[in-house]
Amino acid sequence: MAMQFKIITPLRTALETEVLGILLPGTEGEMEILPGHADLISSVANGELIYRPTAGERKSLFVGGGFLQVESDRILLVTDTALESGEINTDSVEEAIARAKETIKNSASVMSREEITYLEAVLAKQMAMLDYRKKRHP
Amino acid sequence: MASLRDIKRRIKSVSNTSKITKAMQMVASAKMRRAQEVALRGRDYIAALANVFAHLQETIAESSVALMQRRAAGKVLVLVVNTDRGLCGGLNSNLFKEVLAKCPADADYITIGSKLAPQLTKAGRNLAATFSVGDDFTDSDLKPVLDFMRNHFTDGTYNKVMVAYQGFVNIMVQKPHVQELLPITKEELLAVAAKDDEPDTDNGNFILEPGPAELLNAILPLYFSNAVTQLVLEGKASEQCARMVAMKAATENAKTLIGDLTLEYNKARQAQITNELLEITTAMKAME
Repeated sequence: MAMQFKIITPLRTALETEVLGILLPGTEGEMEILPGHADLISSVANGELIYRPTAGERKSLFVGGGFLQVESDRILLVTDTALESGEINTDSVEEAIARAKETIKNSASVMSREEITYLEAVLAKQMAMLDYRKKRHP
Repeated sequence: MASLRDIKRRIKSVSNTSKITKAMQMVASAKMRRAQEVALRGRDYIAALANVFAHLQETIAESSVALMQRRAAGKVLVLVVNTDRGLCGGLNSNLFKEVLAKCPADADYITIGSKLAPQLTKAGRNLAATFSVGDDFTDSDLKPVLDFMRNHFTDGTYNKVMVAYQGFVNIMVQKPHVQELLPITKEELLAVAAKDDEPDTDNGNFILEPGPAELLNAILPLYFSNAVTQLVLEGKASEQCARMVAMKAATENAKTLIGDLTLEYNKARQAQITNELLEITTAMKAME
């Protein structure tokens, strides 16, 4: 029995398909959603999401932080980023990482705690994106 | 009657103006299509977030989350989303009327876009800050505005944050809205969630991970910043539409004006020729 799976980002509905199962990075650890899963709302961390549209087929996406809602076999993922590995531009990601590191290093003393937390969050996401890209295209 | 040369000069200047308005109309309509798309897509995201939230509502105590706290003491802050440039019809002045009518006079004002800032000051409103974001803005461009609102709300300076913006209805219609942004209320979230097209079974028995409080603390700031982004996007889309329509009207007016002036020019030319002929014949008659 298939489940409805939908990913919504601010820019687009990134994915809308039927799936047999998904594996994704929850903030409390990896989790797998299979048909008949109990209703669930969970926060999602940066990382790789794997979904199976049909038996034997596995597709993967990079997802940024967000929220997952499972309700009677309908899965809704609300996230700020959802990219296939081909869509990630390694150069621009590396550049963003370098820039964020630089800013943190140079102006940590003048920034508020919130600003640093924000930058670190940006950094963590870019690093995760890069890791994912490297894993897919070694 | 104006002299021939004067009329000719006017025709030339009007046709130059119409070239400019025509160009602005094309630019606006190109930008409009993009802005409109982005604005409409953003609505889905907000609705989906609110939908997730709507399922959390059973477990919420409003006072536990900073962005939902209701306080009696404190002032009101109004964010006015207007445009940086003019030539967009009555967009800004309609918004300004709405602001004057619906926002308290003793509130502090901040604006995104600089057009209405002088007018607010002139009307005796206290303008605290003016921000400006470009047409293709990113999250980090909006961050100063968001931080300003969030920090001053949480530290108790303001007990309410309102926003005035031009809501995008369609190309011809933009509607000025004034609404409350903070504190975020359950009612507001539920209303937004209702726009989501997902069917709602509402059984309320969700497993929550990590926990209700953590989820709420993560989802509300996200909702807040995306709600503001969405308002600004709608403002931008409205601006481009209004400009396109205004410039189209201007181009058409210029065309009619050129038509009228050409007619007048031809009449004047004809009158002049008749006059000259008359003079010649009179002279000939006199010489006979």
